[in-house]
Amino acid sequence: MTDQQTYNYTVVRQFAIMTIVWGIVGMLVGVFIAAQLAWPALNFDIPWLTFGRLRPLHTNAVIFAFGGSALFATSYYVVQRTCHVRLISDKLAAFTFWGWQLIILSAAITLPLGITTSKEYAELEWPIDILITIVWVVYAVVFFGTIAKRKVKHIYVANWFYGAYIITIALLHVVNSAEVPVTLFKSYSAYAGVQDAMVQWWYGHNAVGFFLTAGFLGMMYYFIPKQAGRPVYSYRLSVVHFWALIFTYIWAGPHHLHYTALPDWAQSLGMVMSLILLAPSWGGMINGIMTLSGAWDKLRTDPVLRLLIVSVSFYGMSTFEGPMMSIKTVNALSHYTDWTIGHVHSGALGWVALISMGSMYYLIPRLFDRELYSLKMVEVHFWTSTIGIVLYISSMWVAGIMQGLMWRATNADGTLTYSFVETVQAMHPYYIVRFLGGGFFLFGTLVMAVNLWKTIAGAKPAVGIIPAPAAAH
Amino acid sequence: MILKHVWGLFVNPKREWEAIRDDECTIGKCYAIHVLILAAIPAISGFIGTTQFGWQLGAGDPVKLTLQSAGLIAVLYYLAMLVGVYTIGWMIHWMSGTYGAKTMLSQCVVLAAYTATPLFLIGVMELYPILWLNMVLGLPALAYSIYLLYSGVPVMMGISEERGFLFSSAVLAFGLVAFVALLAVTAILWGMGLEPQFTR
Repeated sequence: MTDQQTYNYTVVRQFAIMTIVWGIVGMLVGVFIAAQLAWPALNFDIPWLTFGRLRPLHTNAVIFAFGGSALFATSYYVVQRTCHVRLISDKLAAFTFWGWQLIILSAAITLPLGITTSKEYAELEWPIDILITIVWVVYAVVFFGTIAKRKVKHIYVANWFYGAYIITIALLHVVNSAEVPVTLFKSYSAYAGVQDAMVQWWYGHNAVGFFLTAGFLGMMYYFIPKQAGRPVYSYRLSVVHFWALIFTYIWAGPHHLHYTALPDWAQSLGMVMSLILLAPSWGGMINGIMTLSGAWDKLRTDPVLRLLIVSVSFYGMSTFEGPMMSIKTVNALSHYTDWTIGHVHSGALGWVALISMGSMYYLIPRLFDRELYSLKMVEVHFWTSTIGIVLYISSMWVAGIMQGLMWRATNADGTLTYSFVETVQAMHPYYIVRFLGGGFFLFGTLVMAVNLWKTIAGAKPAVGIIPAPAAAH
Repeated sequence: MILKHVWGLFVNPKREWEAIRDDECTIGKCYAIHVLILAAIPAISGFIGTTQFGWQLGAGDPVKLTLQSAGLIAVLYYLAMLVGVYTIGWMIHWMSGTYGAKTMLSQCVVLAAYTATPLFLIGVMELYPILWLNMVLGLPALAYSIYLLYSGVPVMMGISEERGFLFSSAVLAFGLVAFVALLAVTAILWGMGLEPQFTR
């Protein structure tokens, strides 16, 4: 059989397996730094084990290594399957895999050494930034090149989301990482002062909007209908909320800079755009939930569906919480508190991680021509991860609101009621609960890893034969 | 009879849900025999706890609220619970068509009201606020409420377990959203000068 009659599953397999590996690594670091916040002695007075260095390692590992690998794996799979054509180049696809792993490895080395640009979610120094740009451009060439030679006329909506994510991330990365190198390992941002902050949060919020949302919505629009065995609830809604989402997200960044030196009108604009963003976000959520709701007869036999339901529910919850927190008055209380951390994790654990894991349960058995090893273990994964998320976000709600109230409490004479260290001390029990929540979630991930390992151990890689496209109707 | 279903919801929830369904209670009666009484537990306990005993934040004297401030908060808290139960019941009714259930609004409100029972009861712990202990006790109560929701929806809505699972998840998601909205409203009120008055 020639290559042109089969799909390129090799690169999908590689990225899928690394998704699991980096997921475990990233979450393990997360649980460790959560423990450090509860018991600070755990940094052992070793510089590269301190929170300040491991925290960017955690965020980079879960966002770009775990989330990134999941996005590469699924986008390569989905674009081939929905275009009925093999990726345009196996070599370029392999380059993106090895290039991306090299970037992750460089991050894992440089961040604990304290080599950082100090820009949140863009900490990697300029040589790695250049490598990211090259790999990303090649990724875009492979993805859009494959779409260009598709055998079906229609471009399925999942590809629109993946495409928007690839283009926007390229733009965000290049603009935000514009920097002046001083040495091999140190550079300074090309922007100064509040412009730098605005560019940073334009990047930062759209990393959430396009990397962690649009890409994963692409995943949702392929894997949820597949797993449920039904068409998307409303295809029209999917297209409408696509355009609304990409138009609105790009304006929301200033809500990270409320009550700073950023001009007030820009803050208000960011807030209004963040509130509007609720509508397209919920368009996506409703579409996912309604697609799943029609598959209720499969629930008894398919615990993966439950995982997907929970993920879309958390997407709905956190995209409601986000606009609420962007309201200036709310933000005055919530900003810089653990409420923000809880919000991020209801999105990251609840939505991003669970939709990725649900997709991996669908994808990995098919890439190796096997049945999933144990549905019982998926059930265990479902419960431990759900409990973990609930513990995490509820402890952060309480902690965040307490912090906010304690920081702004004043005595009758106008002095602050609490010193900062008193507020830190008050957080101790909630940080323990957060650590437990993270531990539960990590345990669920390990159960998934064992389950998938048992599924593929000894299996031969599957060959994906390209079916003839269905006739137009 | 006042509070007649409370015990059964803990001993044999499934049978109790069937009894609740067969009662076909009206909204007014459900509030009179259940919600108005039970919702008072957290409100009154909270008022006493925050004014008489206060809570410890780190080292130093316990923090208390002034009588006036705590009184206002207790009243708002009580009203928020009454409105919250009705709102969730209304949402259940609104969503019921999607999940193939044909139920009157009153049955939906009753479902919401009885689901919240463990949360109302555990409110008694607010008499003596120790924040971490309250959290340790509150989480099992929350978990039991969620269990009641999942076991109650199929019975009260007359649908299969599988559809019930989806329906319950949707209700839970709405509950979370409503809770976040409440947080945001609270933060806005605080920001507009209605902040609790501490004594310390």
